[in-house]
Amino acid sequence: MKKGLISILASVISILVGLLFGFLLLLVVNSGEAVGKFGELLTAGVSTLPKMAKVLYQAAPLIMTGLSVAFAFKTGLFNIGASGQYTVGAFAALACAIIFQMPWWACLIASIIAGAVWGFFPGLFKALFNVNEVITSIMFNWIGLFAVNLACMNIRNAAGKQIMLPTAWVNSPIMDRTASLSYANPDAMIPKWGLDTLFESNYMNISIFIAIAFAIILWVVLNRTTFGYELKACGNNKNASIYAGINAKRNIVLSMVIAGAMAGLGGGLYYLAGTADYNIQKVLLAMGFNGISVALLATSNPIGTIFSALFISYIQVGGESLQPTFAKEMIDIIIAVIIYLSAFALLTKTLLGKAIKLNKTNVNEDKTVDAEQEDLKAHAQQAGDNGKGVLPPTVADNKESEGEK
Amino acid sequence: MSEYVIEMLNITKEFPGIKANDDITLQLKQGEVHALLGENGAGKSTLMSVLFGLYQPESGIIKKNGEEVKIHNPNDANALNIGMVHQHFKLVEVFTVLDNIILGAEPNTFGFLRKAEARKKVLELSERYGLHVDPDALIEDISVGMQQRVEILKMLYRDNEILIFDEPTAVLTPQEIDELMEIMRNFTKEGKSILFITHKLNEIMAVADRCTVLRKGKLMGTVEIKNTTKEELSRMMVGRDVQFEVEKGEEHLGDVVLDVKNVTVPSKLHANNAVKDVSFQVRAGEIVCLAGIEGNGQTQFVHALTGLDKMSAGTITLCGHDITKAKIRTRSKLGMSHIPEDRHKHGLVLDYSLEENLVLQRYWEPQFQSAGFINSYAVRKYAEKLIEQYDIRSGQGPVTTARSMSGGNQQKAIVAREIDKDPELLVAVQPTRGLDVGAIEYIHKQLVAQRDAGRAVLLVSLELEEVMSVPDRILVMYEGEIVGEFNPKQVTVQELGLYMAGAKNMYRDAEKPLESNSVSTEDEVIEG
Amino acid sequence: MKRIIALFLILALIFTVVACQKTDEGEAQDDPAVVDPADPADPEDPVVEAPAMKIALVTDVGNIDDKSFNQGAWEGVVQFAESKGLVQGDGYDYYRPSEDSTEARVETIGTAIANGANVVVCPGYLFEDAIYTVQSQYPEVMFLLLDGEPHTADYSVYETTANTHNILYQEEQAGFFAGYAAVKDGYTQLGFLGGMAVPAVVRYGYGFVQGANLAATEMGVADQVSIKYWYCGGFAPSDDIQIKMAGWYTDGTEVVFACGGGIYLSAVAAATAANAKVIGVDVDQSAESDCIITSAMKGLTVSVVMALESLYENGGVWNDEYAGTTATLGAAVDAVGLPTAEGSWRLTTFTVAEYEELFEKVKNGEITVSNDTENPPTVEISVDYNA
Repeated sequence: MKKGLISILASVISILVGLLFGFLLLLVVNSGEAVGKFGELLTAGVSTLPKMAKVLYQAAPLIMTGLSVAFAFKTGLFNIGASGQYTVGAFAALACAIIFQMPWWACLIASIIAGAVWGFFPGLFKALFNVNEVITSIMFNWIGLFAVNLACMNIRNAAGKQIMLPTAWVNSPIMDRTASLSYANPDAMIPKWGLDTLFESNYMNISIFIAIAFAIILWVVLNRTTFGYELKACGNNKNASIYAGINAKRNIVLSMVIAGAMAGLGGGLYYLAGTADYNIQKVLLAMGFNGISVALLATSNPIGTIFSALFISYIQVGGESLQPTFAKEMIDIIIAVIIYLSAFALLTKTLLGKAIKLNKTNVNEDKTVDAEQEDLKAHAQQAGDNGKGVLPPTVADNKESEGEK
Repeated sequence: MSEYVIEMLNITKEFPGIKANDDITLQLKQGEVHALLGENGAGKSTLMSVLFGLYQPESGIIKKNGEEVKIHNPNDANALNIGMVHQHFKLVEVFTVLDNIILGAEPNTFGFLRKAEARKKVLELSERYGLHVDPDALIEDISVGMQQRVEILKMLYRDNEILIFDEPTAVLTPQEIDELMEIMRNFTKEGKSILFITHKLNEIMAVADRCTVLRKGKLMGTVEIKNTTKEELSRMMVGRDVQFEVEKGEEHLGDVVLDVKNVTVPSKLHANNAVKDVSFQVRAGEIVCLAGIEGNGQTQFVHALTGLDKMSAGTITLCGHDITKAKIRTRSKLGMSHIPEDRHKHGLVLDYSLEENLVLQRYWEPQFQSAGFINSYAVRKYAEKLIEQYDIRSGQGPVTTARSMSGGNQQKAIVAREIDKDPELLVAVQPTRGLDVGAIEYIHKQLVAQRDAGRAVLLVSLELEEVMSVPDRILVMYEGEIVGEFNPKQVTVQELGLYMAGAKNMYRDAEKPLESNSVSTEDEVIEG
Repeated sequence: MKRIIALFLILALIFTVVACQKTDEGEAQDDPAVVDPADPADPEDPVVEAPAMKIALVTDVGNIDDKSFNQGAWEGVVQFAESKGLVQGDGYDYYRPSEDSTEARVETIGTAIANGANVVVCPGYLFEDAIYTVQSQYPEVMFLLLDGEPHTADYSVYETTANTHNILYQEEQAGFFAGYAAVKDGYTQLGFLGGMAVPAVVRYGYGFVQGANLAATEMGVADQVSIKYWYCGGFAPSDDIQIKMAGWYTDGTEVVFACGGGIYLSAVAAATAANAKVIGVDVDQSAESDCIITSAMKGLTVSVVMALESLYENGGVWNDEYAGTTATLGAAVDAVGLPTAEGSWRLTTFTVAEYEELFEKVKNGEITVSNDTENPPTVEISVDYNA
């Protein structure tokens, strides 16, 4: 069976398990309404054009943060800093829009650059000092969040007003969010190309196409270029890539830069839609972390992120339709369970892969005998009998790896 | 009372899609050394796992002294006095020898250790069987051979009667191997029974009384060693005739390809240097072997030579180019190929497909890419060519994931990749490690073919058979220094062993008086 | 091993969910339990044609237990609905928008209406643009907007259509009561911690100053009473605020009126450490901390009930007084004040009776509180506006 097919099957199975769990939760909470509401949960996303528009609207930034995490995963890095990169990307886009009155595409480029910068530092620390990128990128999440909040509150125009806030633009008492693009700079809103009329929803714009375009670009980069070949080699086996003369350090930095750029663009796409304003204060933005789920569900395939982001967005929109029968918190839990279990795709994939391999009949012995021998070794390993399989690591080997730690 | 202490009768163990053990019968006599022979994947490990209760067989029974027993887990096995020395020692590095021996079977009164009693018993045992080892030394400070003794003492301490040795000689020097054989014979004299798992025919011929041969999960038969030959055993194991002697033509020496001068490499683990002032040359058309016991600086030297690590002093010249500080890729472009020691760590990207691995050293060449885009058609064609030419077998051809391939074919892929680069210098580090007889034969042929084609080959090996048969010249490395240079035709294994163990140094000293246990514990440094 | 951990996690998840669900159900069951006995044959219910009202409350972004606007308004909805025998799930419900944006609020209001709601209650000024959009989109639906007035996103056009009623509050009166009570209770060193100098907060602050001044002059201690006055510049708690408050308390400030969003948390933290007091805002915050001696409340619950009652009596549509108008509610309709419930009244020398006397005076106009936000009130006590 083809590898790609197994991946897709694994994701679908995971989703089904997640949905089953979601349904069980609905049953536990309110058995009377569960069946009908579960149906709504599954169908709401396509029930009306505006709902579909919302699915697409939410999916765009999700695809980007998902791509960010997935791309880093592919190259062996865990970019948990997507949230921070997303935040600075959002800020860069909004600052260009509001302060510098730039058009939307320039704002998006700014968000890409800002996110890239925010990915650059964890990558640099990883490459130069081998500081775990998880730690640095978590710290950069907070640095990004608070730096952005500080900037929003403190950048003032000539008249001494806080230019990022509504107060500089309209007679508004609202101080906890940035000025709305509808009056601050309508040109910075991502164009809708008539899609809003088509879908009868203000949510709709072309951001979904931009996101899909980037997903395809990343897929091409990863699978069709020498650069992608090197990145993946570094991710899969850093030692082997160094052995092959690949500059692993450069690739680590570049990988994080690209990952950051993707997340940053996600921030730009979301906040330049002109619907939500950037809300100052509080907590790290969830969009960055949802990117992790998206990437897991897509088993880090860039094309897969398109579908997994659409699914997660779809299930979120479906979840909204459970109101008011189910409280929002309840819905959040159910969605979280579905996403959480869906994200087991990688685990399912492994299990599925094993099951299929083991069940393969012994038709062509010449061809399969090697694989079968490997299976035996795998079993022997499980039995704690044969360490690394074919390679008998000696004591010196073990010491070496300990030394590296 | 039965003639056999342990009988495994008609054992069949199936995993989905494959019979790992198909109707296998193995009977171990009281007081014999019984070898279990088979290639990787023949089912040896599965059979032992069944004996230790890790797997339950679909059919078949196990008898101890003629009575059927049920073994559900390793504790049951232990209760039946079955013990095993694993290929990879299961020792706590920071504990003392004594602590490791009694670990899990500590004599105690209400939870308080009675160590003195344990010490007495351990000393008695080591005296009785000649297993001399300092009970208060830390495991991390003693040599691999000593560690193996600790493992053996662990079994004896638990009063095991049936001793299983899983590939015990892989990590030992020739002298140590001889000693181990002696110890095994002592055990049988004491009435203990030994099951000896190996694929080294010489050792079986030397020590075993009988041998059971497995191939692809099936029992090939049990033979008396005195009635058989090495050739017959290997035919049973592999299913065809195997050539043991490496055929080599005359040597045609060419120019100096590799010139290593005064190379010193610092150790990552301690203040000393891992490689000290090493100098030698390799010429076109010869195979030079860097021999030595594992952990004497060979790995570090190769890392410095190939650019994986930095050296602190010395120069390396490849075909007239100074590559002392060159990048890995520069070395590669100048004609260095490297079959790495650890094929999983360095040699392959396991999650890449076979074809992707086959271009790992040359994906950037114009024939495989244009403007940064990989020409997948060219890659596929090239992979198919290599697969054909080097007989690399895999489930799905070029797109097979490297991880799913057998060790031998993984190694073949690496060899194919490195040789097909048409190198000036081929650095092959333990190229046959962990491979079965057929694959070893194949790889040796390839190395010799390179030599005959006028390439320079630097072979790093721990296997004495390989050291004696493949190269034209042998350099022995001990504690980071070259201590001797030999012509394999004019040196004995025993002589080589003395140099490998550090008892002799061609350049430094007049001959030292020899001690019986030639591996000194205090000097043994395991480097990483 | 991994499987066991995974299983454990899943079980933990399920138990968490079940635990959550229990509290939810508990609340849900309480409501009908109270409502069910509502006797259809109640003689005091003479309205023959009770309008079929289906009420939806849409929260601004938080939840109905936010101890603030959403909660106050929701309590009003529940109180009204129960008195009319409406059942949650049928007669009234609440919704939360999917994100903090006008678009999402519009969408959620739409969802509520699609589910049959014909009265939509929207607490908080964040709804101003949303109501502007939906009031014309759904002319047959009645909207009640609390603490705001509908306008376009850029504030250029203010318009309230006939199906919308807005309620604003006389914050200056609430602040006045708090200031008066504090001084009457014997505090002389007061503090005012405002979020930002937006009109509502300024009215609270100036009212607080006026109340303290009146009490001080009445007691003849005007020369002893002083107020430190500061806008911290945000509505979120922060260490900076806490440090500043700690400084005030060290300087002798006895009680601080913390006015704006979550900043009371910083004040409470500083007060707890200094064993000093805090005055809460908007809703009865006495449950938040023992150091909160009273709260300058907006009567959200009262005003919601009042508006819904009027709607009910007029057959489900706003009457002329309400249709398209903005009511600024104060003491006159009990829509501002201090909490007088047993647990909430933590003033010692100032009694509930005295408070009620004061309240009456404000209610009947005997005492007027200026709502001027441009100029600080003229007072005899000392106020340090640069504290």
